[in-house]
Amino acid sequence: MDISFILVNAIVVACIYGLVAVAISITWSSLGLINLGYGFVFSFAGFGAYLFDRMVSDAPILVAMAGILTGALGGLIICLLVFIPLHDKPHFTTRGMIATLAISLIGSQALLMQFGPRPKNLPELFGYWQVKLGDIVITSDKIGVVVCSILMLAIVVFWMRGSRRGLEIRAMMMNPHAASIVGIGVRSTGFYVMAMTGAMAGLAAVLLSQTYYIGPFSGITPLIKGVSIALLGGLGSVQGAVIAAVILGLAEALTSRLLGGQYVLMTQFLLIITILIIRPRGISGLLDKAREQ
Amino acid sequence: MAEILNVEGLSAGYGPLRVLHDLDLVINSGERVGIVGLNGHGKTTLFYAIAGLTGWQRGSIVLDGKQIGRTRSQGPGRYTHKIVRQGLAIMPQGDEIFNGLTVEEHLDSGAFTSEAWRSRKQRKERVLDIFEPLRKLMKTPVGRLSGGERRMVSIGRGLMTDAKLYLADEPSLGLAPKIGLSVMEALLSIELEDSAMLIAEQNVALLERRVDRVIGMHAGKLKGEASAASRQSLAV
Repeated sequence: MDISFILVNAIVVACIYGLVAVAISITWSSLGLINLGYGFVFSFAGFGAYLFDRMVSDAPILVAMAGILTGALGGLIICLLVFIPLHDKPHFTTRGMIATLAISLIGSQALLMQFGPRPKNLPELFGYWQVKLGDIVITSDKIGVVVCSILMLAIVVFWMRGSRRGLEIRAMMMNPHAASIVGIGVRSTGFYVMAMTGAMAGLAAVLLSQTYYIGPFSGITPLIKGVSIALLGGLGSVQGAVIAAVILGLAEALTSRLLGGQYVLMTQFLLIITILIIRPRGISGLLDKAREQ
Repeated sequence: MAEILNVEGLSAGYGPLRVLHDLDLVINSGERVGIVGLNGHGKTTLFYAIAGLTGWQRGSIVLDGKQIGRTRSQGPGRYTHKIVRQGLAIMPQGDEIFNGLTVEEHLDSGAFTSEAWRSRKQRKERVLDIFEPLRKLMKTPVGRLSGGERRMVSIGRGLMTDAKLYLADEPSLGLAPKIGLSVMEALLSIELEDSAMLIAEQNVALLERRVDRVIGMHAGKLKGEASAASRQSLAV
């Protein structure tokens, strides 16, 4: 147990929570929705992958795809239930937050009724092998998690930079009012955003199941971590969220090593509070080169 | 000469506030019409009502033969993108722009029909011919541009599609007089062919003798109208 081991764990944790955080960040800045429903989407995608594994096939790539697709489906469900009916009503931010929280709670209970409280396991997606780097041993699941999440993030970033839909989403992130003036439909863009971010949460669920397990409430911790990372990164910034994920991952690994696991949330929120006092716009406030309006 | 825009009995406002009072307005193809009025008398609200962006509105708005007006009590912007897709180009007041996008991405975002998207390279060239200073700023984030350059971007964005009706809201607002004049000149140099343009402006001198008609706006109503001919005789 030394510093390199802590670092490896920090990066693995940061990758998974970072995916959820980037999803939360994108949803907030493009749709103005603080989506607390990812807790449900997370568990939902986990069970989707689990059922696929049991009933159809246990080929790793297909199981992962099943998780991603159920995640996207979960995102679309939230879009249909919350975003479409509420988005142009007064106090959308508050109502949207409450509604997505409700979906998260009800959805988790429904999963509990359907599948019971017993945790479920997914097969090892990345096989059993390990890499030796000097005197550190890195197991296959850790490498797999890091590679998969970076790959997913890269795909999302490239898609948002290169494609027309991505341009629409980014335009909406910066100025929703102007976006409607140039003919970008809020609701159709909402579908793309929610499906994409749901897919990211789905992948995070599959990846986390490699270390932990799948249960009706397994999405709660990633949700809390994701929201705090998104806050720390400055809601709405992908780079900010990535950096914040690394910082919080490090803080988590260091705290559980030096002080004990029960203090993890405490140090995490102390860190967030401190940074937000110094930089109210989070880490992205440091990165932003464009002039404010 | 076809009718591009026909507004009848349009009232609109925000919450309890009623800004427009039973407006009637007809604009024909090939026409460039100026709307002149003071701050707070409803010029921007008229544009927003056409785009479906006001708090509530009622009355008939026919754009290029299609009814786009509807009575509604809430949900500003719900149908705006559909209205825009029917051939409306809005060059909004106060630079409704996307700070983090580069000038090039910005112009791309204006090409929202699939046909315009495919030919966006040629269209960008066309915009750059009008606004030459933007050519070397294509990779710069819009948030770093000067006021005049931002205005050029926001007008250029409106020119990226084949709109039936161009709405330019105070194109010279907040700009140095010289730059404001050049922006206005660029707007006036655009070939209209079978489309039409509506320019809201506080500075009558900028519009005089340059547009086909000038309509006054006061307290949410359109008042008085001067065609180019009569304006000219007044000015001489």
